[in-house]
This record gives sequence, structure tokens and C-alpha cells, in this order.
Amino acid sequence: MKRGLVVKRILIVDDAATVRMYHRGILESAGYTVDEALNGIEALEKALETPFDLLLVDINMPRLDGFGFLKELRRQPMPQPPAIMVSTEAEARDEVAAYRAGASCYLLKPVRPSQLLAHARLMLGEANK
Amino acid sequence: MGLVKGKAAQPAGNTTSKPASCEELAAGLESADAAVRRHAAREIPACADAGAALVSRLKREEEIAVRAAILTALIRLDDPVATAGLADCLRSEDVALRNEAIEALKELASSGDRAGAVPPVLASLLADPDPDVRIFAVNVMESAPHPDVESWLIEAIERDSHVNVCATAVDLLCEVGTEAAIDPLVRLKARFASEPYIQFAAGLALKRIREI
Repeated sequence: MKRGLVVKRILIVDDAATVRMYHRGILESAGYTVDEALNGIEALEKALETPFDLLLVDINMPRLDGFGFLKELRRQPMPQPPAIMVSTEAEARDEVAAYRAGASCYLLKPVRPSQLLAHARLMLGEANK
Repeated sequence: MGLVKGKAAQPAGNTTSKPASCEELAAGLESADAAVRRHAAREIPACADAGAALVSRLKREEEIAVRAAILTALIRLDDPVATAGLADCLRSEDVALRNEAIEALKELASSGDRAGAVPPVLASLLADPDPDVRIFAVNVMESAPHPDVESWLIEAIERDSHVNVCATAVDLLCEVGTEAAIDPLVRLKARFASEPYIQFAAGLALKRIREI
């Protein structure tokens, strides 16, 4: 890391280990620091404890789904990171529900590396990177 | 509703009166009072036709504690109506309900002597026209100690045209795949040659299987 540069922290929230590995690899190769949560409850605990610059959130997860996690997080009196919601569901209703829950953008799985990085940079205010 | 009278426990806070009848418990499931609904959900599995009443209420229930009691009752019931009702919840637009149904089906699928009730439903869900339902069926398989799970997953990656169904099946093959999955995984990589996630996940599954 160059002196003076702050590495952005991204939290991946997904119950599928292979998906987390795939997204982690893409984001770490671009220089971001990545943490993981397996469900909405774990994500909420981590997000309340540590500030993240960006969230990458799956919808369907056990214990607390992505919508429930984002809705609860958005109620907290704290700086709110942008959230990219990723889902296998192509129905328009799911995209609308994602934005209502507090998502900043909505991507369909499987996400391509260039697509993920472009959206992450946009959300992090690094669109010119 | 056609509930047959049977033995049922006494309602909470009413320990001196006779046990509630099945008709009373069925009515209790529709009560405006959440505590009454929760009590009825706990007691109604002793009644015939309880599965249909529980599933019907589950689809409309908004109280988390009552939903939890209904799901527990459906798992206790473990009859074809309960299993089919839970499977039907996978089509719900309510994400929380879908995930609760997946978790309940996983519990049924993983619970030793009960595991036999779920596989026929899983096989049917894997042929569902809705790809999301097929994905949820694969999610349930994570917990099913059934000898056909690997062959179902192989069938999915060989035949299913939807990339996310294949991707979800590959995720699970990373954990349960054997040498039988090697050629199908190689063919999947060729079929989705321009899909980075499939290349990554199938490559990972192949690596793990070959390391076994």
C-alpha cells in the first residue's frame, strides 16, 4: 500500500463458500481488504463492530436474509456504507425490494469480474480508477 | 377444515379445563391473538389434517414467534402434506418465508430416520419450471444424506440450461463430489466456456475431487 492511501474495506455477505471465494479473489486482486459473513446476523454483528466502505450482499441466506440485514443496518445511527445486492433472481420485484431494503445497486449472479469491479469502484467513488 | 377430533394438550393458562379439541386448535390458529396462534401451532400436530392447517397459516403469518412455532410443528409432523406445503413456500415472494422453508426442509432432510420424506419432493423440485425453485432444491440438498444427491447434482449440471442452477449445483459438488462428477464438470466448463464463475467453481470442484 502506498503511504497515505487508505485501503477500502469490503464485507462480502453470502452463505455459499465458493461464491465468497470468487468475489474475494476479484476484490483482493484489485487491492481491497475483504471480510466475510455467512448470513445476515453475522454480517450485522461485523458491520456494527467495524466500519466497512462497501457491502456485497446476497439475498437468500439462512438465519437473516439480505433484505432483513440491510433493513436492520439502515436503521442504525451510524455511517451507512453503500451496498451492492447480488442475487440469482431476475424478477423485477426482487430488484425493487432490494432498493427498498437499502441497496445502492443490484447485480444478477453470476457476476463477471469486470462488472463487479466497475460497480464497486463506482460505489466507492473511485469510478476513474 | 375437516380436522378429526383427537387428543390435544391444554391451552396455556388454562390448566384446569379439558384439553382443547382439534376444532378449537384449528380455530386458535386463526385467532387474532398471537399467543393463542402460537399455542395452537404447538398442540395441533396431534390432530389429523394438521399439516394443511399449519401450511395455510404459515403463508399468512407475520409474527416471527408464531412462524417459528408453525415451522417446528411442520418438522414434527413430517408427513407428505407438511413437506409438500414447505416445498410450495419456495415459490413465495416473501424472502423470509422462502428461507424459513428451506431451513425446515434441510432439517427434515438431515434428520436420520425422517430423511426419507424429503427426497421425492426434491426430485420433483429439481424439475420445476422456475429456476429459482430448482436453485432452492439444490440448497436443501446440502443437508440431505441421500445416496442420490450426487447423481441429482450431476444431472443438474449436465441437463439444466440455467447458469445459476448449474452454479449452485457446482457449489455443492465442491463438497460432495466424487470421481463420478469429474467428466460432467469438465463438460460443464466447456458448455459455459465464457462464464467466469462456472470456470472458477467447476475448476475448484475438480481440484478438490482430484485431491481426495
